[in-house]
Amino acid sequence: MDSSTKIERTAAGWLARRDANTWSDEDQAELNVWLETAIAHRVAYIRLQSAWQQAGRLKALGAGVPRGQIPSKGQWTLSPFFSHGEAVEESSPPTVSGQAESLSNGVVSGWHRHGAKQLRRPRSKRRGWLKMGLLAVCLLLAVPLGLGLRRYTAVQSTAYSTPMGGTQTVSLDDGSQAVLSSDSSVAAAMSRSERHIDLQQGEAFFEVAKDAQRPFVVAVGDRRVIAVGTRFSVRRNADGLRVVVTEGIVRLETGADMPAQQRVMRLPAGSVALVGKNGVSIQSVPVDKAEEYLSWRSGFVVFRDTSLADAVAEFNRYSAQKLVVNDAQTAAIRVGGHFRLSNTEAFVRLLEQGFSIRPERLGDRIVLHSE
Amino acid sequence: MNEALDVWFASEILVHEASLVRYLARVWPHRDEIHDLRQEVYVKVYEASTKARPKSPKSFLFASARHLITDRLRRSRVVSIEAAGDLEAFNVLIDEISPEKETGARQELKRLAEAFDRLPNRCREVVWLRRVQDFSQKEVAAHMGISEKTVEKQLAKGARLIADYVYGRTSSRIHPRETGTEERSEENVHG
Repeated sequence: MDSSTKIERTAAGWLARRDANTWSDEDQAELNVWLETAIAHRVAYIRLQSAWQQAGRLKALGAGVPRGQIPSKGQWTLSPFFSHGEAVEESSPPTVSGQAESLSNGVVSGWHRHGAKQLRRPRSKRRGWLKMGLLAVCLLLAVPLGLGLRRYTAVQSTAYSTPMGGTQTVSLDDGSQAVLSSDSSVAAAMSRSERHIDLQQGEAFFEVAKDAQRPFVVAVGDRRVIAVGTRFSVRRNADGLRVVVTEGIVRLETGADMPAQQRVMRLPAGSVALVGKNGVSIQSVPVDKAEEYLSWRSGFVVFRDTSLADAVAEFNRYSAQKLVVNDAQTAAIRVGGHFRLSNTEAFVRLLEQGFSIRPERLGDRIVLHSE
Repeated sequence: MNEALDVWFASEILVHEASLVRYLARVWPHRDEIHDLRQEVYVKVYEASTKARPKSPKSFLFASARHLITDRLRRSRVVSIEAAGDLEAFNVLIDEISPEKETGARQELKRLAEAFDRLPNRCREVVWLRRVQDFSQKEVAAHMGISEKTVEKQLAKGARLIADYVYGRTSSRIHPRETGTEERSEENVHG
């Protein structure tokens, strides 16, 4: 047995002995001696004692339980007196964000009701911290954990790619899934310390299996998007990348060429981040809106007040037949709607009818002119 | 004896245990020595803090850990010196990892409940009766039909397991979910 483990057990023994009715002054003197003998003793004791003290907070959950009865495991989230609405009514104004709330169901609501007395003191301060704290936890999850070992582990990488117009769902070795968009390629290398995806071209959506020990890193050149378990997509553009997060939190590392405050960024669900040559812009949208950026997975594209230039670029990612807009006036037309990506023709017809745009067919290109 | 220092130590240093252990596990290849290393770091930090408390406890904690590891690496012939190079890379990250103590009280309670549920059955029962329902150890023994000595042993075990979970928790069980409906119901309640 390690010496530190032995010390910990002894400390725990003291703690339990002290907790008994039979504890005497002599016992206390004896404990004091033990505590003074080595700082390691003291530190071990402080640690257990303060955890034990914290365990007293469980009383907040014991309020409805008859004396002598042991609640069954996991009942915290099921028990009727922890019901959501009831508890919330008694709490102070809703400073907790939706994200925080979704994390803190069940038990947490119970705490509001039953724990109010015991925990009055730290509450106001802690409440303010709550959102931060949850984000902190998420951030913690997103921190790459494999730095130390990466260079020692050589791993084979597997390449996947899709043709123009095709999408492909790929199951990775770690249980994660990647959906490759049209004309995209990735190389996946799974080592013991990191799950490394090199996005060489195009776009891919990732549904990451949870593994706190092995961060999931999508690299686009020297920029990195890092997650532990979450859902997001990364698209490689001509001069940068786009990251859309639909669940959890990912960490974006842009590299040394960016302004200092933009080198490492945390992207919560609903973020649409664009990394260009000169900087990063991050937009926060509701998650269902963010999902629209990923409708290519089901073969659709959604435009909302999108410039025709952008819409055309989007279609061109999926089709060998390219749409071309040559004049600024046409490029600036705003379009909206839900289109099937495989049907460029339908899109062109709609433009013809709705916006009086005249398509000129030149081999594999269709040039769009305003009338 | 310095109780203020002990309280400070628990709230400013021990709260970083999970990060500390992860750090140690990354830079030190021998898993079975992590517990010892952790203790050694704590001892160094506590010792230094009896003279003057560090202004930035977390940085101090990790600086101490780094010194200890660097020292060990130098003495050890087994580990490549490259591992020490990575310590520098990790420096940056430490400041980005937010301290666990910023986690909300709700979250803490939830974690405690989880820790409690993970205790072995008998231990869980003893902890509940003694710590939550304020039975004396003697009453717990009578209620459960076991000896007082066993109660004491189970409490000691419970304290160790809870401490491991409260301080050295594995963060993998906390995961955010996106649920628009819950968000909305919160709004509704408050009109």
